Amino acid sequence: MARAARASSMRFEDRTLAGTLGALPWGLILMLISMALIGTAALYSSTYTNPAEAGLPARHAVRFMISLALMFVIALVPIKIWLQAAWPAYFITLAMLVGVEMFGVSGGGAQRWLPLGPINVQPSEFMKLALTLALARYYHNNLPNAGGRFFIHLPPLLLIVVPAALIFKQPDFGTTLALFASGGVLIYLAGLYYRVIAAVFVTGLISVWPIYQFVLEDYQRERVDTFLAQLTGQAVNALDDGYQIEQAKIAIGSGGWQGRGFMEGIQAQLDYIPEQHTDFILTVIAEEFGFLGATGLLVLWGIILVWGLVIARTSASLFGRFAAAGCVATVGFFILFNVAMVLGLVPVVGVPLPLVSYGGTVMFTTMACFGIIMSVHLGRDERLGGQGVI
Amino acid sequence: MSAPTDHDTRISRRLLTTGVAGGVLFSGLVARLAQLQLLEGQKYQKIADENGVKLELAPPLRGNILDRFGLPLASHRQAGRVSIIREQTPDLEASLREVARHVDLSPQSQARIIQQARQQASFQSTIIKSELSYEDFARMSLLAAEIPGVQVDMASTRSYPRGRDLAHVLGYVAKASGDDLSRLTEDASPEETNLLRKLFRHPDMRTGRSGVERYAEEWLRGEPGFRRLETNAAGRVIRELDSDDLAPTPGKDIGLTIDAELQRAAIDRFGEESGAAVVLDIETGAILAFVSTPAFDPNDFVNGISYEDYNALRENDRSPLYHKAYDGTYPPGSTYKMVVATAALEAGIDPNMRVHCNRYYRFGNRTWHCWKRGGHGSVNMHWAIKGSCDVYFYEIARRVGVEKIAEVSRKFGFGQTWDLGMTGGRSGTVPDDAWKRRTLGEPWYEGETLNYGIGQGYLSTSPLQLALMSARIAARGKLIEPYIIGEGPRPDKPIKGAEPLDPEMMDRMKAGMYGVTSEAGGTAWRAGDLGLGGPRLAGKTGTAQVRRISEEERRTGVLKGDQLDRRLRDHALFVCYAPADDPKYAAAVVVEHGEGGSSAAAPVARDIMATAIRRDSRRAARWQTASVPSIITTKGAP
Repeated sequence: MARAARASSMRFEDRTLAGTLGALPWGLILMLISMALIGTAALYSSTYTNPAEAGLPARHAVRFMISLALMFVIALVPIKIWLQAAWPAYFITLAMLVGVEMFGVSGGGAQRWLPLGPINVQPSEFMKLALTLALARYYHNNLPNAGGRFFIHLPPLLLIVVPAALIFKQPDFGTTLALFASGGVLIYLAGLYYRVIAAVFVTGLISVWPIYQFVLEDYQRERVDTFLAQLTGQAVNALDDGYQIEQAKIAIGSGGWQGRGFMEGIQAQLDYIPEQHTDFILTVIAEEFGFLGATGLLVLWGIILVWGLVIARTSASLFGRFAAAGCVATVGFFILFNVAMVLGLVPVVGVPLPLVSYGGTVMFTTMACFGIIMSVHLGRDERLGGQGVI
Repeated sequence: MSAPTDHDTRISRRLLTTGVAGGVLFSGLVARLAQLQLLEGQKYQKIADENGVKLELAPPLRGNILDRFGLPLASHRQAGRVSIIREQTPDLEASLREVARHVDLSPQSQARIIQQARQQASFQSTIIKSELSYEDFARMSLLAAEIPGVQVDMASTRSYPRGRDLAHVLGYVAKASGDDLSRLTEDASPEETNLLRKLFRHPDMRTGRSGVERYAEEWLRGEPGFRRLETNAAGRVIRELDSDDLAPTPGKDIGLTIDAELQRAAIDRFGEESGAAVVLDIETGAILAFVSTPAFDPNDFVNGISYEDYNALRENDRSPLYHKAYDGTYPPGSTYKMVVATAALEAGIDPNMRVHCNRYYRFGNRTWHCWKRGGHGSVNMHWAIKGSCDVYFYEIARRVGVEKIAEVSRKFGFGQTWDLGMTGGRSGTVPDDAWKRRTLGEPWYEGETLNYGIGQGYLSTSPLQLALMSARIAARGKLIEPYIIGEGPRPDKPIKGAEPLDPEMMDRMKAGMYGVTSEAGGTAWRAGDLGLGGPRLAGKTGTAQVRRISEEERRTGVLKGDQLDRRLRDHALFVCYAPADDPKYAAAVVVEHGEGGSSAAAPVARDIMATAIRRDSRRAARWQTASVPSIITTKGAP
């Protein structure tokens, strides 16, 4: 068979390290490196006028290199081990989330960090990965015998909702959404009936108002209000939340076709946009490289994600498919939501642009996701026993 | 290989739909990008371009004031300045203490600077000390690099290069106070008011407080411009953009008729004495020297004068703040005798009529005295003027009467002011019956007319008026209007009270004044020789009584000089013109408490006139000069 003839399709145990490295999807890795370089350049452009932020681009690059190393480590761990680690990882992370609730450290208005020895860890970030692995493991074991029964999707829903509720309480709206998005994609892949999806969608629409009214915190409600106001073209208070969106639109819009050129962005250079080097980094790229640059960035991300989906598709095991697809969904959600937010299409919820935004955790999460994807790629012919054999 | 299971195909299918859904969402984002960047791009580009640009008011450079030959009297000087930027020093107080070790800085001003620095944004600079001396500037320039946050730079300051010389004419500038602002914005529209208030808040802006500086404020000020500064959202200046099209319009220059060198010579000639001198160009009425001494130094006022220094100026008994030549009024004494004699001629009195002077003149039950022991004997008008015989003038004043003397006084220009284009100016008093009833509620007594005849009593005149009187006599009665603004905002006020005088009568006055300095029996015959070989001086002495001389003193002999407290001594006056045969210059000199017109005032006047002639001070003015930077020449020189 053609598959067996390919060198890279050897069983994992048979490979040398060099052979394994050679089997990695280097094109994908090069694209990830390019993405991080784009991020570093954009950071440099947006921070060089402010001496206090001078070190950010370099730190960004260093973090990426550490994350890249982490990605390789994760990629080289046999997928069998990830399968075995899925449940423990999920429940330990869940326990840590409960720990955050009980002994967590507050910062920036939210309680997200858990003090573990000398460092504070943010279990909600681990959870994105742990949930994906847990769901993949669950479906790997249960899907082949499910026979299309509806109730097999209920435990995954529970697996999503419990950590999501804990994280929402911190509060961390962005991560909550991310869990629902990537978990939802996996349930969808597992074959949830379209009529159920339609029903959930309708229920979701109906519950928008009660959630807005009774669940959201005041500051979250304000953000939604501001969002709706600017979306419908009303004047928003320029000094308030609306300021950020408005300035972001000015920056993006003024980029035009080709942009003002690297380091020439007025908005970017003059600190007009709060959190520009983190969540709003896209404004720098859109202003300085224009429509072509911003679209190019999105296309590059699109190729990366599609590549990830292709890896998911080629996996011989259900675990591999679900794990890779869940990781693509997690990263894809961040990109879609971040860009939509910067473009003023969804409310401002702190969601960064992976690899481009300044910020450590999201960088580690993203690269860990790609580590899993590559691990799936290397072990795509592993059937992983159990029942999840395709 | 096992055959694909049904969930295998389903997952593959659903992976595809997930990818497609993601692709649709990505396309939506690209569409939104296209909307913002391509469709609305220009709108946002415009907003962005304006976003980071702040217009900062740029103060205009104040116009210069020049003397008639273009010497700068008020211009600009670059002065060293040390300032501190809060965010650039880890310890504001320590940096300031370090600066205070090298330049004089009181603990109070240190506290004030710290307070000011903390109030403004951390990247703005706070001036620690301006007007650094050369030594301080040099030292701080070396040290600034080692003290965190401290900077040394140059700022442009109003400067009066000739110091005290023209203090009263030029006046001075100072930071606009609340009163200044309400005065400056009196007739301004709300927008203009707003702009002016902003402008005068600028640390480099000054406004004229007195003299020409105040009168010609708008002419000198210029139009403010703007600097385009690119700022970030916090207001920090990133860089300065091209602002040439918004550059401020510098103020216009003013050319005075003053000859600064003549002015300096006149002041030097006064030495320690206090007094006033006015030199006029007879032909044009241009004021060539306008001396009031001692004076203050206007440079002291530019950055604010201390309370102690100002008080010292105020309490100085030689009144340095006071413009004695323009605002000072003195009894003219015997210098007024030409006015009384002209009144007598107009009243038809024969100039050859003789009056016998034996020093005493009895009227009613009182006796008036002539200054000369033993009297003048029999004198006609010519002899009475050159010998300054009081008895003669008692007699003709009594015959002519107060109203006639007042009328001729006004013809000469006494009792009126001229709007010269500077602050101040006093009209003095030309008393008559109506005046006395109005101000004192009493009728005029004929005895007072006798005092009028020798320029005493209620009569008071300014040195400018006296100089103008001699100019009018020298010009044979022609109307002359004095002016000091040669080029600039010249006030256009018609002459009010003055009228032409009869040329032949004036010839008699000139002959009398020539006699004073050049004929035997003249009271100032030593002053006639200007020491120039040819031209001679014609003039008239005067002594203005500061107090009444008692009968007791008359018997025991009038105390003189050192025997008398300075403040009680008489003022010495001299009015003159030169050259005597072809008059070009006229002058009046008052030496306060100088005792005798001939001994104190005449020599001063003679030397000033000699200088004017030697310098040819009245030669054509040229205000344009290369020595003043950024000079704006305006058209319409007189």
